[in-house]
Amino acid sequence: MQKLGEFKLPHFFNYPPYFTLQPVRDTREKQIQLWKELILDYCKTQKVFVIGLEEEFPLFTNTVIERSLTFEAREAFLLALVSEGRAEWMDKGHRKCLILWHRIQEWADILLQFAKDNGLEDGVVTIEEIRFGTESQGTELQGIDRTILNRALKLLEQKGKLVVFKGTSTDDEGIKFSV
Amino acid sequence: MRRRPGIGGLQTAAAARDQYRLLGENVAKIRTDMMKEQLSTFRSQLEDFARKHKNDIRKNPAFRSQFHEMCAKVGVDPLASNKGFWAELLGIGDFYYELGVQIVDICLATRPLNGGLINLQELCNLLRQRRKSDRGVVSEDDCLRAISKLKVLGSGFEVISVGKKKLVRSVPTELNKDHNEILELAQGQGFVTVDEVERRLSWTSGRAIDALDTLLDEGLAMIDDGHKDGKRRYWFPCVSPISSLTGIDSL
Repeated sequence: MQKLGEFKLPHFFNYPPYFTLQPVRDTREKQIQLWKELILDYCKTQKVFVIGLEEEFPLFTNTVIERSLTFEAREAFLLALVSEGRAEWMDKGHRKCLILWHRIQEWADILLQFAKDNGLEDGVVTIEEIRFGTESQGTELQGIDRTILNRALKLLEQKGKLVVFKGTSTDDEGIKFSV
Repeated sequence: MRRRPGIGGLQTAAAARDQYRLLGENVAKIRTDMMKEQLSTFRSQLEDFARKHKNDIRKNPAFRSQFHEMCAKVGVDPLASNKGFWAELLGIGDFYYELGVQIVDICLATRPLNGGLINLQELCNLLRQRRKSDRGVVSEDDCLRAISKLKVLGSGFEVISVGKKKLVRSVPTELNKDHNEILELAQGQGFVTVDEVERRLSWTSGRAIDALDTLLDEGLAMIDDGHKDGKRRYWFPCVSPISSLTGIDSL
């Protein structure tokens, strides 16, 4: 089976018509479904948070069968993810897309679990520590996208589970949990 | 002196008739007895055979197919009823019912990908994967038998021959001659172009486009505009199954 690094590609990735947006509704729906799953799966395992429609992205081209997704097709697949709450456009022109293989709520839950696992129920931690600290190593939080983290923090802040306090620079922004 | 008919003559004639009848009955009885005996011998022989080769019948698909052939020749259908000694002896009825259910399952699961038309070979491969834990092996012959049993359900399961390949149809779509010819043509590379259909089948472009559009609408074809020659290709998942593109792997 063809692989992208460690990622196993599904069979349909080698079938040329899957790179052309299908005109018949039923067929197109199935096609979109398969691509959605593939994109989410790939982003999750490879920790990709943002997909640019006009940028190079490993899934958009299959050099073995010499096929690339058209812009129209890329847009259709991402739009389908957006409509399911699995992605969000980052700009008005729909050129950049934030991929949410975990919804914001799920990321918030992961953050709370992180606090519990590390005895931070009413402790303080910096955002840098969450993203790159030793505690988060090997967890899903390692290398988490800044936008997604902020959104999850905001959600928890609204629920009174933590307080975000700003430092002198963005680097030492911190949070205090009160779980 | 000529004897005149009398009661004696009539009685003799009646007695002779009775004798003949008796004799006839005897002969018939002897014949039926013989037949019965032969049949029971045959049946016990067949049973003995089936019992003796039970494991072969269960495990060896080639042997199973030959056994079926033999049964068909002598007018016995081991699948006709799930009750009776065949089922008890071999569990052979259950085997095919089980296959039937799994075939329906696979056809339904792959329908969105192939429009309800699947290559018999691929179906078998998927069936084998599903039954991996099972010690028995499933042959194409077994698949065909199981599918023929599905016909009683009236759900439109049918095996159609296109060129050299057999395809299993699980949707009520009627394929006409034109569609079949296109499917046959597509077996070469897995796809066709309008040009190719016109050229190879000597059709007008209207006829070619019309037939291809129908196949597209039925979900049996997919278009591919990505080739560098810029010509639209029509791919048919039922003749070039997606799972066989990279070897036999799970779908």
